Amino acid sequence: MRVRLIYSPDVVEKPILAEVISKTGLLINILEAKVNAQKGELVVSIPSSGEKLEEAIAMFRRAGVKVEEIKETLKIDQEKCTSCGACISPCPTQALQFSSDWTLKYEEEKCVACGTCVNACPFGALTLLEGSEG
Amino acid sequence: MNKGDRRIRSVKEINEKIKRGDAVVLTAEEMIKLAESSGVKAAAKEVDIVTTGTFGAMCSSGVFLNFGHSDPPIKMTKCWLNDVPVYKGLAAVDGYLGAAALSETRGFEYGGGHVIEDLVSGKEIELRAESYGADCYPRRHIETTITIDDLNQAILVNPRNCYQRYDAATNSSDRILYTYMGTLLPNYGNVTFTGAGQLNPLCKDWNYETIGIGTRIFLGGGVGYVIGEGTQHNPQSGFGTLMVRGDLKRMNSRYLRGASFYKYGVTLYVGIGIPIPIINERVAKTATLRDDQIIVEIRDYGVPSRPDRRPVIKRVTYADLRSGKVYINGKEVPSSSLSSYKMAREIAEVLKKWILEGLFFLTEPVEPLPRKGRLKPLRVRRKEPTVRELMRREVVTAKPDEKVEEAARKLIVKGIDHLPVIAEDGRLVGIVTSWDLARAIAERRRFLSEIMTRRVVTAREDETIDAVAWRMAQHSISGVPVVDEEKKVIGIITTDDISKRLVEGRSRV
Ligand code: SF4
Ligand code: SF4
Repeated sequence: MRVRLIYSPDVVEKPILAEVISKTGLLINILEAKVNAQKGELVVSIPSSGEKLEEAIAMFRRAGVKVEEIKETLKIDQEKCTSCGACISPCPTQALQFSSDWTLKYEEEKCVACGTCVNACPFGALTLLEGSEG
Repeated sequence: MNKGDRRIRSVKEINEKIKRGDAVVLTAEEMIKLAESSGVKAAAKEVDIVTTGTFGAMCSSGVFLNFGHSDPPIKMTKCWLNDVPVYKGLAAVDGYLGAAALSETRGFEYGGGHVIEDLVSGKEIELRAESYGADCYPRRHIETTITIDDLNQAILVNPRNCYQRYDAATNSSDRILYTYMGTLLPNYGNVTFTGAGQLNPLCKDWNYETIGIGTRIFLGGGVGYVIGEGTQHNPQSGFGTLMVRGDLKRMNSRYLRGASFYKYGVTLYVGIGIPIPIINERVAKTATLRDDQIIVEIRDYGVPSRPDRRPVIKRVTYADLRSGKVYINGKEVPSSSLSSYKMAREIAEVLKKWILEGLFFLTEPVEPLPRKGRLKPLRVRRKEPTVRELMRREVVTAKPDEKVEEAARKLIVKGIDHLPVIAEDGRLVGIVTSWDLARAIAERRRFLSEIMTRRVVTAREDETIDAVAWRMAQHSISGVPVVDEEKKVIGIITTDDISKRLVEGRSRV
């Protein structure tokens, strides 16, 4: 699961991520980082689910870090999309398909955020959301 | 007279029915269904008009513009709209903006197609023009903004639209290709195709019995006309095309969309719909043609040849392609379109609605389109250097079981960088470079077979230097072995050989 971690100024200098990693043993991967003296924002992927994931999230929260789940990966601009299909066959995971009326259909769970479709779209209708590149 | 020829109804009779409000109009998809349930004969009797539609990239599109005269006036010799060059070999303030023209500042991201879309949506466009000045046209420079309303005329005139069918594309090479057929993944990773198939206007009037010069059509959301056959019109092989025109000011940007193909260029997606009057049974029959009856060849874009020389990998139908997967060498390969079937359907529906509401009448062509015509390639008469002329024929090679040190010595003694590795029978099995050898020595590897690159990029003797130089640049390599049909090494060519030739060429001038 991908989450956004928002550090407030008073916790930004503490090694919270390192602590969570060492205590849970989870290989948390940093996808994006924006840190300065006032504020910090990290997008990480936590390779876990269920209790272990809950535990990691709870640890962040207890340490004063705001945790937001990132649900969307790919944004489709419906105004720009013509349902041409140019993005469909280049997608390695079949996350993009046609629905029965030939409208483009996107299945979030299948997407691995590789970005292949973004370049394949002739109308610039697709963008990978911040922090989902990986 | 063949039975299929017998006239069922005339265009004039159809128009009278439209006026009375009792014309029977079906989209091509509905016509197919009707023919399946009641047969072509009954469908021909019942249906007056079949509407069609297509919405895809049509690079040979553009718009004639008249800007009006400024005060003092200018004879524009160069002109740009949003930094996209406009063709100015016309009168003072006339120009032609082509869909595939690239912005001089934004490259592949923006071009003529986008300017056309922006014009139609009423956006402000930057106009810049230059001139050498003349007594009657003293101004030499102009910079202003315009919208479509400021223009005296904006007439879409597209020299080639509406391809009847189009070859599909795949890629046998080992790298991702970015083409006008979209993103093609390596090793037959996907197939892309284009065309509306069973909704395409020219597929529905396969024998050109109703579509001709003067046929009124749906064009870009407005009304347009067929003004002749399109360039490269090749009806005998089922690759007919149309030349069309229409008033851009009355079009709708939903059906004219600027597009850019990554690392290839820009274009315009054009929406076209043509009404097919069911004048006889033969037309009714072609109007019921289905996707599974329209053949498409899948060609290999991994081979950098002329489009019609790219090897045909497989023959399939639009139905196969639209199913989302085809089989190549027994492997399931995802396939998807570049043109929008959804929009094609919408266009056929809109056209049907126009006719039913009495807003659109059919025309009889003033002249038919040619039913014959061949496509000729461009013969390059100026001699282009080929690999044969530049390659070195004495190739130093090695065997896979040769020792790394021995091979390194060979390279140093001969002063070369590339060492093709060949099997006993002379066939190429790998290549090593001086860099590979340096690393192999550092890593204490022993035999060439352990370190050689097995997927070797090669060249053929009859290829042009241009094609091979492009391939080397794409793979970031500096030399390729030249092989014959049996993969035997007959020479080698390097970037050094090519650049030396260029220098010589120049110094001779
Ligand atoms: S980002 Fe990659 S996996 Fe996700 S939809 Fe696009 S091509 Fe498919
Ligand atoms: S390539 Fe772009 S326009 Fe075409 S279906 Fe995909 S997102 Fe839509």
